[in-house]
Amino acid sequence: MLEIKNLHVRVGDKDILKGLNLTVGAGQVHAIMGPNGSGKSTLSYVLAGRAGYDVTDGAILYNGENLVGMPPEERAAKGVFLAMQYPVEIPGVTTMMFLKSALNALARARGQSEMDAIAVLKAVRKKAATLNVSEEMLKRALNVGFSGGEKKRLEILQMALFEPKLAILDETDSGLDIDALKLVAEGVNSLRSPERAMLVITHYQRLLDYIVPDRVHVLSNGRIIKEGGKELALELEAKGYEQIVKDAA
Amino acid sequence: MSSAAAETKSQVAAIGEKYKYGFVTDIEMERAPKGLSADTVRYVSAKKNEPEWMLEWRLGAFKRWGEMKEPSWARVHYPKIDYQAAYYYAAPKNTPLKQSLDEVDPKLLETYKKLGIPLSEQMALAGVAVDAVFDSVSVATTFKDKLNEAGVIFCPISEAIRDYPEMVKQYLGTVVPVTDNFFATLNAAVFSDGTFVYVPKGVRCPMELSTYFRINASETGQFERTLIIADEGSYVSYLEGCTAPKRDENQLHAAVVELIALEGAEIKYSTVQNWYPGDENGLGGIFNFVTKRGDCRGARSKISWTQVETGSAITWKYPSCILRGDGSVGEFYSIAIANHYQQADTGTKMIHIGKNTRSRIISKGISAGKAHNTYRGLVSVLGKAENARNFTQCDSLLIGKECGAHTVPYIESRNPSARIEHEATTSKIAEDQLFYCLQRGLGQEEAVALIVNGFCKEVLQQLPMEFAVEAQKLVGISLEGSVG
Amino acid sequence: MTALPTRRVEEWKYSDLARALGDAGFGDGAAKAVATAPDGVEIVSLENGNRPAWVAQHYGKLPANVVSAVSLAKAQGGIAMRVRKNVAVVAPLVLNISGEGHVRLLLVLEEGASLTVSEHCDPAATRNTGFEIVLGENARLDHVRLSPASAVVQVEEIALLAAAGAQYHSHFASFGAKLSRLEIMIALEGEKAEAHLSGVSVLATGHADITTHVAHKIKDTHSTQLFKKVAGGKSRAIYQGKVSVAPGADGVDSRQTAKALLLSREAEADLKPELEILADDVKCAHGAAVGDLDADSLFYLRARGLPETEARALLIHAFLEDAFAGVASDDLREMVRGTVNNALDGIAI
Repeated sequence: MLEIKNLHVRVGDKDILKGLNLTVGAGQVHAIMGPNGSGKSTLSYVLAGRAGYDVTDGAILYNGENLVGMPPEERAAKGVFLAMQYPVEIPGVTTMMFLKSALNALARARGQSEMDAIAVLKAVRKKAATLNVSEEMLKRALNVGFSGGEKKRLEILQMALFEPKLAILDETDSGLDIDALKLVAEGVNSLRSPERAMLVITHYQRLLDYIVPDRVHVLSNGRIIKEGGKELALELEAKGYEQIVKDAA
Repeated sequence: MSSAAAETKSQVAAIGEKYKYGFVTDIEMERAPKGLSADTVRYVSAKKNEPEWMLEWRLGAFKRWGEMKEPSWARVHYPKIDYQAAYYYAAPKNTPLKQSLDEVDPKLLETYKKLGIPLSEQMALAGVAVDAVFDSVSVATTFKDKLNEAGVIFCPISEAIRDYPEMVKQYLGTVVPVTDNFFATLNAAVFSDGTFVYVPKGVRCPMELSTYFRINASETGQFERTLIIADEGSYVSYLEGCTAPKRDENQLHAAVVELIALEGAEIKYSTVQNWYPGDENGLGGIFNFVTKRGDCRGARSKISWTQVETGSAITWKYPSCILRGDGSVGEFYSIAIANHYQQADTGTKMIHIGKNTRSRIISKGISAGKAHNTYRGLVSVLGKAENARNFTQCDSLLIGKECGAHTVPYIESRNPSARIEHEATTSKIAEDQLFYCLQRGLGQEEAVALIVNGFCKEVLQQLPMEFAVEAQKLVGISLEGSVG
Repeated sequence: MTALPTRRVEEWKYSDLARALGDAGFGDGAAKAVATAPDGVEIVSLENGNRPAWVAQHYGKLPANVVSAVSLAKAQGGIAMRVRKNVAVVAPLVLNISGEGHVRLLLVLEEGASLTVSEHCDPAATRNTGFEIVLGENARLDHVRLSPASAVVQVEEIALLAAAGAQYHSHFASFGAKLSRLEIMIALEGEKAEAHLSGVSVLATGHADITTHVAHKIKDTHSTQLFKKVAGGKSRAIYQGKVSVAPGADGVDSRQTAKALLLSREAEADLKPELEILADDVKCAHGAAVGDLDADSLFYLRARGLPETEARALLIHAFLEDAFAGVASDDLREMVRGTVNNALDGIAI
């Protein structure tokens, strides 16, 4: 489903990704682990198409189509979803209004019929309850004044609503206590399916206790330096990044 | 007790007088005839042995000045200045520029020692070269040899006009045009001395440069002119300090400072202005009308102004940056303290012309007694200044019921990709902060000094070390008598 | 005749009235005001000289700027309105101002009275409106003013006096003119008097100047101001706001915010929030910002599937949204929002 070939990315005048290769098949969950500054967030942003992340070489093939140069909303319509590490606060836009706008934009782009406010509300309510997203949260401005846990739960709620084919979870565990982490992980696990690929980006192994990956890749200095099964995450936890980087060198 | 508070306390205790620089040096002076005319301008020029072109420049300025009106838009009120009732040139007799400090009148060396500015090089603080300007002339410049080695020119501007005429011609009046404003034009006509600095390409000036301005003579105006050029990729940090004797009369100080930063150059300009502020009844004090402007002419250049304004009866001063070069940076950090009957109207202009230009303004105004303190600023983004950024924070603190704090920012943007943010607050010293300090044993005045120092911290941090300590003490001293 | 201000007059720096008007000035027509008043509002024409005592008592008494002084001298017509003591008028009074030239308005709310005014300006003619408002103790006025896009010069000066406990809530929506200026001078003269001003300027072209003066003359008075501006095309959005606190006016609380979004390379925003503080126990703050849409928000919305123009439109609406909150009446708020939405449709984003 996702095939990244020799990806080079520059941000400003700095090269961040320097020949990254990665393949994720449908139905699989892959974890990307790496120390701070290894390029994890850059990878997530470049997959979603954020401006300022310039691909200087290589390709990002998604179902055979190169995503490089495609605007973010087109990627979203094609099923790419990025759950952000720091979901953006937008005062003046209620969460409900945002969800409706996004759902209908996706529907239009996908050639489906749009939903009215009541249909949206129903759809949202159905998914909201399991993620412990309250009605009151939906009435507030998007992410404004939300706690860290509330923001992450809302990200997962969107993932459930928008039904992506490729979900990228960028440091979804950051800022969560153990209860919130479990809740979010359950939400993610319930969305695992044979048609959906997931890329879980994380610094710590902790999240992978709850979202068990099929493959683990270690990102260091802009490249994948090691990969393995889920046990690689444990090895990383035990040895630390420094040792793994040394071993791989 | 924090060291700042302790420092302030001991300083306050040590000073019997409110203004410790109020003494007069008794020295034989030579003056121009009283009043202002084309002859006065010729007199000043002749005293400086200036070339003909410089005299012409001055006379041109004088002619224009006669056609100009004194500005009235600032929030300052003062009796009409009689420009014919002052002397425009005063110099210690027989002290043309000395080649060595040994030749300088010991009375002058003693004066600067009393001011805390030892000119003898062995005694001087390591790493600070000083140009001492006494009334209308520069009396001493230290560390010239060491600076020469690095190729840095640091000399009185009168000397630069004679020795580096091409450079002076190329840059003088290009940042502050001769006819810029009433006071700048007056300065162009009669300026008597000041400092000239040139830092060559790629040179990081090996020490802090400093000019110490002293008004000593009575009924005399001081009109100094400073010109600093930082060539490509160079760096210089320049400090100025100012004091004057206590007198019942008002004396005029109208300076012009021009800074030019070429590609990749950086100029850091710090001022501790402590001209005599007048007494607690508003009698006497310096009228300080100053035009300071920096031109970031080259790409990625930077000009940073830091000022601590505690003195003068009237302050009228807006150190500004013209951000012409792409990616250039302008900064303005200011503390203005007005106590008793002082009036300060000060701020900055940041003119964004080039792409990716950035500016930052941090202004802290403190009003006490019956004083008025105004921040007046302009941030202007022109049409081609893509991605220009400005951040402004303007805070005012009021101490007492009879003072005023005013904020007048102008924000003008013509580029959709630019971002300008301005925040301003006005408050008094919080009762709970004061109570906390008193409860822990601080006296009223030291508590205020401590809190005000905290309020000003962001700006104080910008000052070079030697000045920061001095400035911190000044903050406390200036507010003496404002509480209780 | 008094000379009209040019941009060389500091207060008119961004609005050169003399130049915009040219030799014709405001013209010699008889601009008029028509009020559709609900029960409880008394209305008197200012055209005849036979004015009741309450009109005589208040008409022309509040401080006037130079332009307002001209309307006072030259206006032929206009109306005076009054709500008597403790009368609460629920339905809004609809005020329509039209025609060329000068016109005067006077509104008096007596002690404890309350009223909502919905003011509409006919965009067709060059006009100068002078409006005096007197609020008695504990009176409350809600004032919504719409000035639609216009090709001519339209200015209005409001002078307002608020007695103890009186409240003034206003929303000014402007959509640009050859020169458009709304200047309001508020004197909070009684303790606990409050003024809450909000407004939006949505400009596809033209000029819109909102100039406010809020004078806190006595202790414990409060004011808030929130003005949002969206400038597209070749437009110019201006906010000048001065908050002053008189000596001894302790306990004053004042907050002033002005923000502008520039959507075009030819648009300009000029903001001048000013503070003049002569008392120490006060809380006064202002904030001003000019910029474009937040890049993070834009990316977030696009990453969730919103096309760029839709995402931009959503963020522009969101930018304006909090300025509508000051309109107390749901109906009037929807009316303002609807007008703003229409105006936004006409701007290239």
